[in-house]
Amino acid sequence: MADIFDSYQLAAAWDEMFEQPGTPRGPYQGLVAALQPLDPAELRYRADQLARIFTDRGVTFDYAGEERPFPLDLVPRIIDAVEWDLIARGVRQRVLALEAFLADVYGPAQVVDDGVVPWQLLATSRQFHRAAHGITPPNGVRIHIAGIDLIRDEQGKFCVLEDNVRIPSGVSYVLENRLAMTRTFPALFAEQHVRQVDSYPARLLAALRAAAPASRRDPVVVVLTPGVSNAAYFEHTLLARLMGVELVEGRDLLAADNQVFVHTTAGLRPVDVIYRRVDDDFLDPLHFRPESVLGCPGLLNAARAGQVTIANAVGNGVADDKLIYTYVPDLIRYYLAEEPLLGNVETYRLGDPDVLDWALSRLDQLVLKPVDGAGGSGIVIGPHADGQTLERLRGKVASSPRSWIAQRPVALSTSPVLIGERLAPRHIDLRPFAVHDGSDVWVLPGGLTRVALPEGALVVNSSQGGGSKDTWVLAAAGAGPAVGYLPLVPVQRQADSAGIARQAGPGGDQQ
Amino acid sequence: MGERGLTVGWRLLITHRTVVGYHGPARASYNEARMTPVALPGQNVLETRLWTDAQVPVWTYRDYWGTEVSAFDIQAPHEELQITSRATVETSSAAGPDGDPMDWSELTAQTRSGRLLEFLMPTPRTTVGAELAAAARQRVAGLDPRAAAAEIAAWVYQHVTYMPGSTGVQTSAKEAWDQGQGVCQDIAHLTVALLRTVGLPARYVSGYLFPKPDAAPGAEVTGQSHAWVEYWTGEWAACDPTNDSAVGHQHVVVAAGRDYADVPPLKGIYHGAPSRTMEVTVSLTRLA
Amino acid sequence: MNTGLLSRIAETLFWTGRYVERADDTARMVDVYVHRLLEEPRPDEDADCRALLSVLGIPVAGDAVLDIGATVYQLAYDAKSLSAITGAVLAARSGARSVRDVISSEMWECLNVTGHSLAAQRRSAERLGPHIFLRFIRERAALFFGLADSTMSHDDAWRFLVLGRSLERVDMTARLLLARMPDTPYEVGWPMLLRACGAYESFIRSHGWTGGHGEATEFLILDRLFPRSVLHSLGTAEDCLASLDPEAGRAGMADPARRPIGALRTRLEYSRTDLPADQLAALLGTLQETCLQASQAIAERYFSYTEPVAWASGG
Repeated sequence: MADIFDSYQLAAAWDEMFEQPGTPRGPYQGLVAALQPLDPAELRYRADQLARIFTDRGVTFDYAGEERPFPLDLVPRIIDAVEWDLIARGVRQRVLALEAFLADVYGPAQVVDDGVVPWQLLATSRQFHRAAHGITPPNGVRIHIAGIDLIRDEQGKFCVLEDNVRIPSGVSYVLENRLAMTRTFPALFAEQHVRQVDSYPARLLAALRAAAPASRRDPVVVVLTPGVSNAAYFEHTLLARLMGVELVEGRDLLAADNQVFVHTTAGLRPVDVIYRRVDDDFLDPLHFRPESVLGCPGLLNAARAGQVTIANAVGNGVADDKLIYTYVPDLIRYYLAEEPLLGNVETYRLGDPDVLDWALSRLDQLVLKPVDGAGGSGIVIGPHADGQTLERLRGKVASSPRSWIAQRPVALSTSPVLIGERLAPRHIDLRPFAVHDGSDVWVLPGGLTRVALPEGALVVNSSQGGGSKDTWVLAAAGAGPAVGYLPLVPVQRQADSAGIARQAGPGGDQQ
Repeated sequence: MGERGLTVGWRLLITHRTVVGYHGPARASYNEARMTPVALPGQNVLETRLWTDAQVPVWTYRDYWGTEVSAFDIQAPHEELQITSRATVETSSAAGPDGDPMDWSELTAQTRSGRLLEFLMPTPRTTVGAELAAAARQRVAGLDPRAAAAEIAAWVYQHVTYMPGSTGVQTSAKEAWDQGQGVCQDIAHLTVALLRTVGLPARYVSGYLFPKPDAAPGAEVTGQSHAWVEYWTGEWAACDPTNDSAVGHQHVVVAAGRDYADVPPLKGIYHGAPSRTMEVTVSLTRLA
Repeated sequence: MNTGLLSRIAETLFWTGRYVERADDTARMVDVYVHRLLEEPRPDEDADCRALLSVLGIPVAGDAVLDIGATVYQLAYDAKSLSAITGAVLAARSGARSVRDVISSEMWECLNVTGHSLAAQRRSAERLGPHIFLRFIRERAALFFGLADSTMSHDDAWRFLVLGRSLERVDMTARLLLARMPDTPYEVGWPMLLRACGAYESFIRSHGWTGGHGEATEFLILDRLFPRSVLHSLGTAEDCLASLDPEAGRAGMADPARRPIGALRTRLEYSRTDLPADQLAALLGTLQETCLQASQAIAERYFSYTEPVAWASGG
């Protein structure tokens, strides 16, 4: 019988859903059975409805100055309990190692003296902020929130593509995608035991409050946004609303005598923790860009004086630099005395002249990434690039090898994505989000699955026109119902009463 | 701290007064002053104090370079800001380097990997053209590191004339060389730049200079903020290319960094009219 | 404990209230006046259009000859003018977007959908006449304020929204009444005047068919029960300000925002109901003056925060 997956052709990569055509992998069997009877046109209709609902509700991101709805694909991505356990432990391990690295780098820098990381790497990093040296966060945490980008390679193994410990964004997609899926496709959830994602705001708030200066009994947390024109503005409002805290802009803040306040109609109110979504460079014009009006002068010294906590900490960029990335497995061994649970993608440092020559001779077989680049910009995928692009790249890399790394091209795993009115394989990645509250690193079960929408494309990023999928982490077999799930049942006042009858106006009592 | 420093050096009282006049009221003004001498080998700090005419607390911290920073903010509208820094410091006379000079191969091995690397990389203010760099390398060819440093300092002293007012705070090393004149800041930047191009780690030092080498105790002079250079040849040593002199009992160190941007005596940001004037007076008294 | 509201948010809410009310009132006015102009072609269309625009505070170039199409564009569709419906709705939407964590989601969605629908509504209106567009605006404004009343806590945030709406309403009613003063070229009939304020049916129910200009004017200024009357709106504004400042002293009135509003409200409470025309003109001037004063005083007292001004660096 014809079904929705009939025309689905596997690409030359690990497919998340199908082992081979017609044979779904274990975790996907329920989903495939539920989707099979659907008409692709029906799926398209629901997808369009969803986009309209997102637009109406303003669930958007800014792309080239235009508000666009979150592009959610209706076919979820599923990860089983065993695999998720590895991911969660691997992410936690990575965050702890990077946390130890930051504490070291902005302190004694023992890691340099012990020869694990060359000093040159730090000294030449644009993200190594000497102005942040000596700022000790109250509970020792600098990475309150991390997003670790993972991909699954051709053999089905997860590995780390990149770390994000500055201001990782995208968690609002996770929350909104789940909400949208449960509303649009409630039936899909019936047979599955999918772990909840809605505890994220509470976890985040708890971690931010735990990071407050020690003397604060009831710390005041605010979210600092660059403003409505920021691409992730929706996320800022969502997190502020779900945490029940104020969303502020730089001009709302005032730092005086190392105390930070917000201007309110009742005067100045103190602030203890700032979850900032403003880049380091714009945060404090006294220490960074003097022309910035997105931040607030005096913020950095208030943090240095221990009177306010900036989350994530200033200067974290030195730890998610793509060159430092190549050292993270060593950092895990050095700081934690553990073997990395999640490996890196095979990466080459171009600082060594021999490696540089080798890489320049095979640019068409490598992926080249700018060290400072964010959001997928500047990446050149050798096998997909034309001769002219490669020539330009060769010039740039040769003149500034410190600014680039080279990687083996990995065919990211694929998953069925609704394109027009049929399902086709598209490459995806996974960004799990971790929250560090000082006593433990908690990993949100699921995270953001991003989709590279153009056929064959390997760069997944919303700023590159990518899509996303709801990401399901299945509960371990035998786990009880999700915590907090309470069915609504009428309270019986008396054993045989049917509750209190509804009242009716004149003429309404005859029925 | 060498005994030598306390017996042969001077005791100096430094009063550094800055008056900033804003053209129109300024408010929400945030400032950082780097004007306080710190204890170093050969420099003993007896007392320091920094205050302003505004009724605001001054908060201090040590920055990445080890400099003592005094930070304060003034919220109320004001048209003038006065900052006074006063310090009593014991200096020591110039000491020549001990022991045999390190040779280039050992020096290179030590500077390439370790933290000295920071003082080898050019900054925007300490960048010179390829031609000048080549000339510098040629000039020191065959010299050992210590002799090379002395040669560079002498070369800059000969080529660049000290000329107050000839340049601004943003002048780069290359511009100072091309003009053939500059102030101590430019001469220090240029020297730092050339030392780095020949492979010697070098840093920019900001501080004070008592201008008369033979003043008697009790002598008071109007001096100035000064800048000179330190370089590494196995240990840190100092030279003053503006005067082609040794660095000793006349010099008081406040801060050292990669260039001026790491150690500005005063930086600030405020709401108000962009134009302002700044008047600086430094008086130095030899107490003993 | 009153922890206060972010000053920037208070200001944005105040203006969101004003802009939505402005869009609503302008839509009502345009609906009535433009249809009259269309129904009864008059000898001097240019003068009529100029009168209408000047009442609404929209500057008109001296040499252009105005027709109804251009006037409707300026009043309804101009996205760049805050005096036009489209401009006001878009300003309200972007304001709401920056305070969406304070207002209810339904209120934000209401303005968001309204903003996104303007283009489509305008296309239908250009085919079928402006009424479709104007009715849409009225309905959306009613929905917005209805949602504000029913889905938002009646806290300080809500009060700033209502305060903005009330002051805008006083200002718009004064402008509308000025439009019928004898020295303006186009005098409107009293039923039209009432319709333009959404007051026609209420007036008929309370006064029957016996009214005239005097009664209609009196109703729009002095009626204690009709929610769009000047007196009623001033009372609402005063209540908001009183709740925002619960610690007002026992004697006198220190709040510079409340003083002019309260003084005017009291004056209206005890005013004669049959004002001669010259006194009426003076009163309408006072009304607008009071709105301006109160608005400035509110801004000074509650909206003081660091305006983004370029920092001067160096030292």
